[in-house]
Amino acid sequence: MNRVFLGVALAGLLIAPAHAQSKPPTAQEILVGVDKLRNPGQPFRLTNVLVEYTNGKASNQVMLVVFAKENMQTQQFSNLVRYVAPERDIGKMVLMNGSNMWFYDPSSKVSVRISPQQRLMGQASDGDVVTANLNKDYTAKLLGEETLEDADRKNCDCWHLDLKAASDEAVYSRIEYWVEKGTYHPVKGKFYSDSGRLLKIAYYHKFVEQLGGLRPSETIIIDAVDQNLVTTMTNSDMKAEDIPDSWFQREYLPRVKVD
Amino acid sequence: MRAVIAALCVICAAAPAAAQENGDLGRIPQAVENEAAVPPASSAHGKYYVEDDFVLSSARGGLAVALPAPPSSDWANRSSLDAYDQWSLDEDLSFTFSDRFNLTEADGIGFPAEAARNALREAYFTWQPMPETYLEFGRINLKNGIALGFNPTDFFKTRTAVAQASADPSALRGDRLGTLMARAQTIWDGGSATFVYAPKLHTPRPLDGPAPSWIDPSIDQTNTADRLMFALNLEIEEFSPQALVYHESGRTKVGLNISHPIGNSIIAYAEWAGCSEPNLIAQAIAFGKATGTLPAYAPVLPPTSTGRAFRSDLAVGASWTSVAKITLNLEYHFHQGGFSGTDWRNWFDTAAADPPASPLLWYIRGYASDQQQPNSRHQIFWRADWSEALVRNLDLSGIGFVNLTDGSGMVQLAANYDLSDSWSLGLYAGGTYGGRRSEWGSLPNATNAIFQLQRYF
Repeated sequence: MNRVFLGVALAGLLIAPAHAQSKPPTAQEILVGVDKLRNPGQPFRLTNVLVEYTNGKASNQVMLVVFAKENMQTQQFSNLVRYVAPERDIGKMVLMNGSNMWFYDPSSKVSVRISPQQRLMGQASDGDVVTANLNKDYTAKLLGEETLEDADRKNCDCWHLDLKAASDEAVYSRIEYWVEKGTYHPVKGKFYSDSGRLLKIAYYHKFVEQLGGLRPSETIIIDAVDQNLVTTMTNSDMKAEDIPDSWFQREYLPRVKVD
Repeated sequence: MRAVIAALCVICAAAPAAAQENGDLGRIPQAVENEAAVPPASSAHGKYYVEDDFVLSSARGGLAVALPAPPSSDWANRSSLDAYDQWSLDEDLSFTFSDRFNLTEADGIGFPAEAARNALREAYFTWQPMPETYLEFGRINLKNGIALGFNPTDFFKTRTAVAQASADPSALRGDRLGTLMARAQTIWDGGSATFVYAPKLHTPRPLDGPAPSWIDPSIDQTNTADRLMFALNLEIEEFSPQALVYHESGRTKVGLNISHPIGNSIIAYAEWAGCSEPNLIAQAIAFGKATGTLPAYAPVLPPTSTGRAFRSDLAVGASWTSVAKITLNLEYHFHQGGFSGTDWRNWFDTAAADPPASPLLWYIRGYASDQQQPNSRHQIFWRADWSEALVRNLDLSGIGFVNLTDGSGMVQLAANYDLSDSWSLGLYAGGTYGGRRSEWGSLPNATNAIFQLQRYF
């Protein structure tokens, strides 16, 4: 379950539009641009593969299918996450619909309500694999402009943003975010707990065309607490899907099918 | 000049900051940069695994109330094959199958008649005649209830328990028999409605009757009365209420589940059900007589009123999750038909005054266990889970019950470690504590330890 959260949240942080502007954008406008790149503007599903590296060696792998849809009223995303692998986790589901969050295990056939805090459990938590609207969840402040090396060790001219949680939907209390100027590509993120503790560092790269936008297909997540742990999160098979609103409730969890 | 100095200061400050940020790249292992993610192999829908549980237990001596049949073995080994799968037969038709085969070795267990046991948990068809509307037929494991330790609204739990290694109520819910039923469900944006009919197909099997054949689906445990249930789920202001009405053999129960987040890390929940019915003692004696285990003239012991009254069952609790990945659950359970403090005193006093009544007294406790209802009126349940504890892939957990009348209780601690994607190890240790004349301290099992190995396919 924990890995699911991470994938969904980080996936959400990955999609933004490239738009030319005549005057420097404000911090919040940059965030809007990142959201447009991360979120394709229509209900969609994608496959997410999480690989954990312990002491530099690949260890655990998890494969998830994520269904996401934006609520046009709240502009928040509802997410359904289904475990596809490994074997012991097949069929487990996580629902995140605002603060209405449930975990379903097909073995027990029971749905357990979970708290927002539980989104943060795990190296790649459920809060990271779900899609979210940063502009709705965070208040942004522009700290400055910096030249930063991206995951491919190429220099990028970036806006350095400081994001503070502005709604209960926000997965993290604070995020430092580096966005490439002009393209609005997210380059790097640093994620903090309520107490100010650095939890994770994420690098976004391998931008590919997905659902009409150039979106990062891989996120590298460095655990800031466990120095030996790194996780990669690879998105693929992103495609538009007609997802009824009725899917985003606990009674539907046993009904979700993945073809 | 000041502007130049200020600019230089900014540049000088920014350069080390950027360098420090670039230093994070050094923590990315070479393997990440070299390897492309390869999707793990997946069987897509099903889950299959084998499990072996080796159990050691110690018996408590000097029981306050003698057991009619003391435990014959202080060890047991159970090998299991567990299967769960779903198949699409058509675009709108699917079949679900869930089964567990156990082979048990222990002193006093005859092979293979008593050693082999198959539990057909589920086998049912699902037809979806229209979007988000489902009609299902077959043996279905229907579970209701938001609480963890006791579920008053889990109306289809009675007589469904199968052999278990863990004493965790969540494990008991996970591995139990389904009920032959027809179920209709429709889901809409903001709610769902479910209707269930489970027919009577057999007279009930006695509690202490002879063991059935290993392949027996135990219909005489799960379908011994006509039962109806209607459940309505709504998504209202994050309370997710579920209201239920259940009817069985002349009694109608109503129930309610509700939950709500409090802040970022707490989930509060409550589960209630109530109906007019006799208390536990009267129910047990009546069942024993109806199934022939007890003679028709058997007295109602310990002495109690056998009349019906409206009785409530309640589980109210909360979960709290810490930043350190620890989740704690604390629940209070109220079972109005269960033993009061007076009932417990009478239970022990009756056995002391009339030793031949001991089998009947233990029968009541066996009935409560079979019905999966608490023996006592007031109890506390706690649960602690520490995910990714100390090392990766290690989960530590503990559960416990405490009788609020006599202070006795039980504890089980568990460590589960995933050796790989396919192999898992489990270690469970637990026991009961309390005075000789207490609920848990009067049980024959004092301590036990379980070594568990699982291999997933």
